[in-house]
Amino acid sequence: MGAVRCAVVGVGQTHHTSCRADVSIAGLVREAADRALADAGMTMDDIDAVVIGKAPDMLEGVMMPELWLAEALAAAGKPVFRVHTAGSVGGSTAIVAAQHVMSGVHKRVLAVAFEKQSDGNAMWALSVPVPFSMPVHAGAGGYFAPHVRAYIRRSEAPGYIGAMVAVKDRTNACANPYAHLHEPDWTLEAAMESPMLWDPIRFVETCPSSDGAAALVIAAEDVADALPGPKAWIRATSMRSEPTMFAGRNQVSPQAGKDCSAELWRKAGITDPLREVDVAEIYVPFSWFEPMWLENLGFAERNEGWRLVEDGVTDLRGGSLPINPSGGVLSSNPIGASGMIRFGEAAMQVMGNAGDHQVDGARTAVGHAYGGGSQFFAMWVVGAEKP
Amino acid sequence: MTDETADGPGYAIAEDGSFTAPLTLAYPYARTVGPTYGTFLTGLAAGKVHATVSADGTVFVPPAEFHASTGEALTQWVEVASEGEVVSWSWESAPGNAQPFDRPFAWVLVCLDGAGTSMLHALDVTDPSEVRTGMRVRVRWAADAEPGIGAITCFEPVTTGGAS
Repeated sequence: MGAVRCAVVGVGQTHHTSCRADVSIAGLVREAADRALADAGMTMDDIDAVVIGKAPDMLEGVMMPELWLAEALAAAGKPVFRVHTAGSVGGSTAIVAAQHVMSGVHKRVLAVAFEKQSDGNAMWALSVPVPFSMPVHAGAGGYFAPHVRAYIRRSEAPGYIGAMVAVKDRTNACANPYAHLHEPDWTLEAAMESPMLWDPIRFVETCPSSDGAAALVIAAEDVADALPGPKAWIRATSMRSEPTMFAGRNQVSPQAGKDCSAELWRKAGITDPLREVDVAEIYVPFSWFEPMWLENLGFAERNEGWRLVEDGVTDLRGGSLPINPSGGVLSSNPIGASGMIRFGEAAMQVMGNAGDHQVDGARTAVGHAYGGGSQFFAMWVVGAEKP
Repeated sequence: MTDETADGPGYAIAEDGSFTAPLTLAYPYARTVGPTYGTFLTGLAAGKVHATVSADGTVFVPPAEFHASTGEALTQWVEVASEGEVVSWSWESAPGNAQPFDRPFAWVLVCLDGAGTSMLHALDVTDPSEVRTGMRVRVRWAADAEPGIGAITCFEPVTTGGAS
């Protein structure tokens, strides 16, 4: 027996901002869940199981928040699963929820992911000075900066590519009411003047710290068929991981990411991703990761990803493969939710529900997330047509 | 912060080269409690106990944000009494530094009059013989308290005031 066909039938997210002082974590996840359920035309009672994801508990200092959040997600008497794959967790959570349906175990699954960064400080939570490692105390940006420099060196990309991505994503975010940053006035010249934060990563090339949550309702084919609204049919999913450090590891284009995307395209029956995919939401917390992931995903050959940026291929208006029309992680980063936002935004595109940042005629979309030290990968392809 | 010198305090080095090193994590967090717990905690500072009420009539003290069984978002409020009944208790014979008393006392679960759930706090008694399930207790309010559970200093036994 093959996997049960399934679709995203509801997408919800909060308005992402630096501090949602008006809600508890429970209230935050409920807000996203209510919006996803309303989008699906369902209530909590219709849901068979809940899958929840967030980044490390140390980010807020609440251990196993899924236990506390069961009430907010009306999960009493239902299975609740916690997924944890660091920054990719929002994507992994969506995939685990989809697998609950593909397996035939459940018909309607609610996937929820969140982060309330204002309750902690992710940068320092990610810089624990363990006694046997060099204390960099520089957070994620400090970790990834050498990888970005390595990419720039080996690809011979012009130095302004990172700034181009930043201006694109910040401009795209202005068409997304849920985005954290709404900064319409960025120019390439201004971006190049942005202070150097983690050399060679400039301040504008860096994601914000956000509070936010996202939720998806994933339904089996028979349930989805009976719903009147648009659906995003899940054509393929893939997850991969690898250790953070090992001799000869390619930190710029990790093997796990290459393997993950290769499986994704094979499962989806896609042979030419650049031509066959209409839009992609990929996890770009530092702007240089757009060309890096374009290569890792197979949208571009090695050292050629930056040319897609320079040529405007990834632009929302006029590009043949718009990347992050929502403004991406670069404009909203509630860490645990960020991957699910990518997956949900991809679904919104093929459902025709992306509003002012809709890509005209989007029929095939990709959601992508990565986490840890570029070591966890989660991806899906969703389509407007049943696979 | 961690002592990063190999001969610092807490280091233990074995002959085979394995060693144990100290790692102290000190890390400040914030809590955004949201409107439900916020109403309760600020109410305490004003000497009031606010409770949420669900559609099935259950009165939650401390207030629940969502009904544990149904997931209903609880937005209806009532005020309950600052006096109630001990539902269960435990004896604290060796109090720690941050506890409400520096001598033995009782932890009690109290169901305030009008409430359908119970809350945990300390009871000002000095001997286990002074506490029992079903006894009447009342809130002893802290003077000039900040919002928070500390606005209740403790509970104290209700004495029947001479008449009987």
